[in-house]
Amino acid sequence: MKDLAVRCWWRPHHAPVPGGEAERELPPSLERARGRLMLTGVVFLLCFGALVVRTLDVAVIGAPVGTTVTGAGGALNPAARADIVDRNGVLLASNLPTHALYVEPGKIMDRDAAVAALGDLFPDLDLRRVTTLVDSDRKTALLRHNLTPEQAHAINRLGDPGLWLERREQRFYPQGRLFAHAVGFTDVDNRGLAGIEKAVGEELRRRAGSDGGPLALSLDIRVQHALADALHETMTAHRARGAAGIVMDVQNGEVLALVSLPAFDPKAPDRDGTEARFNRATHGTYELGSTFKPFTVALALDRGIAGLEDSYDATRPLRASRYLIRDHRPENRWLTVPEILIHSSNVAAARLAMQVGAERQRAFFDALGMFERAPLEAPERGRPIAPRRWGAIATMTVGFGHGLAVTPLHLIASYAALVNGGVTVTPTLLRRGAGASLERRRVISAETSAIMRMLLYAVVAEGTGGKAAVPGYLVGGKTGTAEKAIGGKYKRDSMITNFVGVFPIDRPRYAVLTLFDEPKGNEETFGFATAGWTAAPTAGAVIERIAPFLGIPAAIGPGESEAEPPIVWRDGDGGQHASL
Amino acid sequence: MRPLVVISIAAFVVAMLAMFLVKHEVRGLERELASLELDRQRHVEAIRVLRSEWSYLTRPARIADLAARHLSLEPVQATQVKWLPRSPSRPTLLLTPTAAELER
Repeated sequence: MKDLAVRCWWRPHHAPVPGGEAERELPPSLERARGRLMLTGVVFLLCFGALVVRTLDVAVIGAPVGTTVTGAGGALNPAARADIVDRNGVLLASNLPTHALYVEPGKIMDRDAAVAALGDLFPDLDLRRVTTLVDSDRKTALLRHNLTPEQAHAINRLGDPGLWLERREQRFYPQGRLFAHAVGFTDVDNRGLAGIEKAVGEELRRRAGSDGGPLALSLDIRVQHALADALHETMTAHRARGAAGIVMDVQNGEVLALVSLPAFDPKAPDRDGTEARFNRATHGTYELGSTFKPFTVALALDRGIAGLEDSYDATRPLRASRYLIRDHRPENRWLTVPEILIHSSNVAAARLAMQVGAERQRAFFDALGMFERAPLEAPERGRPIAPRRWGAIATMTVGFGHGLAVTPLHLIASYAALVNGGVTVTPTLLRRGAGASLERRRVISAETSAIMRMLLYAVVAEGTGGKAAVPGYLVGGKTGTAEKAIGGKYKRDSMITNFVGVFPIDRPRYAVLTLFDEPKGNEETFGFATAGWTAAPTAGAVIERIAPFLGIPAAIGPGESEAEPPIVWRDGDGGQHASL
Repeated sequence: MRPLVVISIAAFVVAMLAMFLVKHEVRGLERELASLELDRQRHVEAIRVLRSEWSYLTRPARIADLAARHLSLEPVQATQVKWLPRSPSRPTLLLTPTAAELER
């Protein structure tokens, strides 16, 4: 036995071994036992070796860097959506945890008690429907969405195995109707159905899955509120059917506010009817009227077809085949190019458009994107309606804003191009970083753009846009009043009035669009409901409210005298006009 | 021979004890981790709810209403704000495009 113990397998063979030669003389049974012992040892060694290697592998090599413990709630939730915030981080849409109540008829313990308890918890529940559901042979059925925490607690306390709760995420819009059209809404399964929620739904899901933080929009809640408030006030005062408004950064196309009235409640979108759901700002296409005249003028000036001092005959209405083009408030004289805008003469604008020509006009509106849906992160975008034949009549009418129906979004984006130095902007509802590369095409020269700023300023300083003037700020803009075409005929008393204002007009930063659908005159406006009395003052009120907090320096400060007349031009008779 | 066996058994006992203690400690830590994680999730959820509530309570319409009722403040007029420094020739720049615009 001792012999065996010392003659371990690892013992070097050349070492002196007690017993000497006797080793070979071991009986065969012992020899066999030694062989087995060695085999067992080797097997054990291999096993322990494997364990050591595995331990090292787990503990040292494959040690996780930082702990990644995921609890039950951290698992990927198909209903998860990232929050939506405005440009300053104010919450516009978020997910709140709620419970959904399911009933499993086969497992209901006490049918009558369960039904009675449900009746107590949900007073509006149809108990007969519940009873038939409980008696049916369905496996499970969803009974109720969005339980309050108290209701969920009561169900748990009831403890009926046939009633069970499922954790859900419910979309919540703390701002209510204010962002209804821009942000949109989701269905009960948190799938986006409108607005940003639908347009960038995938992105919202991706962010929620990868913890990418909230999605920042370009909208500014302060601007949005100021715009909605002012639009609502005018809409009520003039008993308009609806209103729309947009505030846009003319340099990079960011939309700071987008309002369509009447608005709906994103929590219950169906309750307010389809008219409220309709987005007038991006979906409604309208013939906008005189707000198109600056395009005609800009095109004529830019291509060298007309100069500022050229004048056009507006002495009498213009007959074009079966149409009679007339002015709203006729001057009955020849008008210079600036005066066409200041007095908003349809006749002179039509003559100017004819001089420009159909082909150039069409190409210009094409370059401005007026024949395509305007790009924006919203599914509700209206396709413009262009004249089928772009002949002489169309050229004339489009010259003063009839015959080509576009959305308010098209209009304000095109105005941005007119005043920002002459390059197009791509409207967006998402916040653009400072270094974002923008795709821009030149539509008019920087010089023409500067002249357009002056002309738009003159319209507010001297012309139909006078009520958009804001003390202390330099505002430029243009009014537009168009009769609505209903059933192929223009109706005198149902109008679309709109105004696009730009401020500060000498260093344009923001454009404000206001539009009213069928406003009516009231005592305060002497019965007038045209754009100069409805849309222009509303835009002025908006600018007055938002300019200070957007950091726009006022042109005049306290105790300062009024600024020097900034612009001077000659009218047709050689007289000088000065503004301010 | 004998000391080796004694040492082995002692080592075995010590290792067993150590392993038991470590395992016990790990189990405790795991329990603590799970409860902390649960706590964290509860807090994250609470923050989410509170943020929503804050946003709901600071709706511009509500603030405007409260301000009108309890404060005697009015919106700032442009003429009340002084901007420094002022460029003296601002308005005359209307007719000329800026250098940045010409570069584009």
